[in-house]
Amino acid sequence: MVTDVLHPGKATVPQTEIREKLAKMYQTTPDVIFVFGFRTHFGGGNTIGFGTIYDSLDYGKKNEPKHRFVRHGLYEKKKSSRKQRKERHNRMKKVRGTVG
Amino acid sequence: MAAPEVLESEITNAVTLLKNLQDQVMAVTAQVQALTKKVQAGVYSTEKGLSLLEVKDQLLLMYLMDLSHLILHKASGGSLQGHAAVLRLVEIRTVLEKLRPLDQKLKYQIDKLVKTAVTGSLSENDPLRFKPHPSNMMSKLSTEDEEEDEAEDGQSEASGKKSTKGVSKKYVPPRLVPVHYDETEAERERKRLERAKRRALSSSVIRELKEQYSDAPEEIRDARHPHVTRQSQEDQHRINYEESMMVRLSVSKREKGRRKRANVMSSQLHSLTHFSDISALTGGAAHLDEDQNPIKKRKKLPKKGRKRKGFRRRR
Repeated sequence: MVTDVLHPGKATVPQTEIREKLAKMYQTTPDVIFVFGFRTHFGGGNTIGFGTIYDSLDYGKKNEPKHRFVRHGLYEKKKSSRKQRKERHNRMKKVRGTVG
Repeated sequence: MAAPEVLESEITNAVTLLKNLQDQVMAVTAQVQALTKKVQAGVYSTEKGLSLLEVKDQLLLMYLMDLSHLILHKASGGSLQGHAAVLRLVEIRTVLEKLRPLDQKLKYQIDKLVKTAVTGSLSENDPLRFKPHPSNMMSKLSTEDEEEDEAEDGQSEASGKKSTKGVSKKYVPPRLVPVHYDETEAERERKRLERAKRRALSSSVIRELKEQYSDAPEEIRDARHPHVTRQSQEDQHRINYEESMMVRLSVSKREKGRRKRANVMSSQLHSLTHFSDISALTGGAAHLDEDQNPIKKRKKLPKKGRKRKGFRRRR
């Protein structure tokens, strides 16, 4: 659904608050609600974004991209920097075949 | 005088004709009575309705019959006042008039059918010729090996083999009506001029001139936004797409520049003193092109005797 948030005089509303408000509106828990794509209009006061509500968390886990789970805190991404990945790749280039 | 003899021979003719007429009238009445009985018994079912063309045929025939009856009546000195045939004629005429819009709707189909019947094939520009034919995708040439394999193996294996063998044929797209591309530089220039003229005609200068010289009363409209620019229309299109697809589109640098320029131009007092370019109508040269870049004139440099690169090396 398209979510239109009116917040005159305040800064952009954080996503956790929006999820809680949506949970109250649709009588569900906020953990099955995934919101994304919020853009505040010039001058403030109005933000438009998208939101999806799933029937259960399992369906949400199957259909949502991983970065939205990270925002919920359900998923941890492996943090390896680009430099380290490239160094590892260069090391692997020197060795042929499988390493014991 | 020869008149009585002619009359006599004609009398015998007339008597035979009248007898024939009597017999035929009796036969016709018998048939009509049988038909009415059948119709009343409901033998001819009209559940699915009648064809429009049939109905029109019958109505026109009835109209002609009534009309000829009336002409006969009038020619023999009778008056048409309150004649039953007049009412029938009026009724048939009303029905025919009411059928006319239906006729209009079917005109295209009927014309096409008639044309196909006359020429025997569809015309070149007929859109029906361009519809997809999935049966053309399957390879219709089946070799003998395929059929033998099918008889030996099980069905699933055979279908697998058939698909691999069928795929080996290269797909050649059908050549429909090829159109030659012949837009020359002159045509492009002409189209550009036309577009510029149209834009100039709807500019504020020309509009105010029109209002000044026309006799129509002055309209003051409270519009949402009088300047529906191309940028605002594109923005609206983008917003609609984003909200219907629930995705956010990325904005390129050029697009960002255009949007910023549009916002800046409309928020300043720029529009008070700068009017749109009507050079297309006045015949001058345009100063700015579509992206608000000044149009640069290419200067032809005179070809002097330039020093060649190798000159120094040879020295």
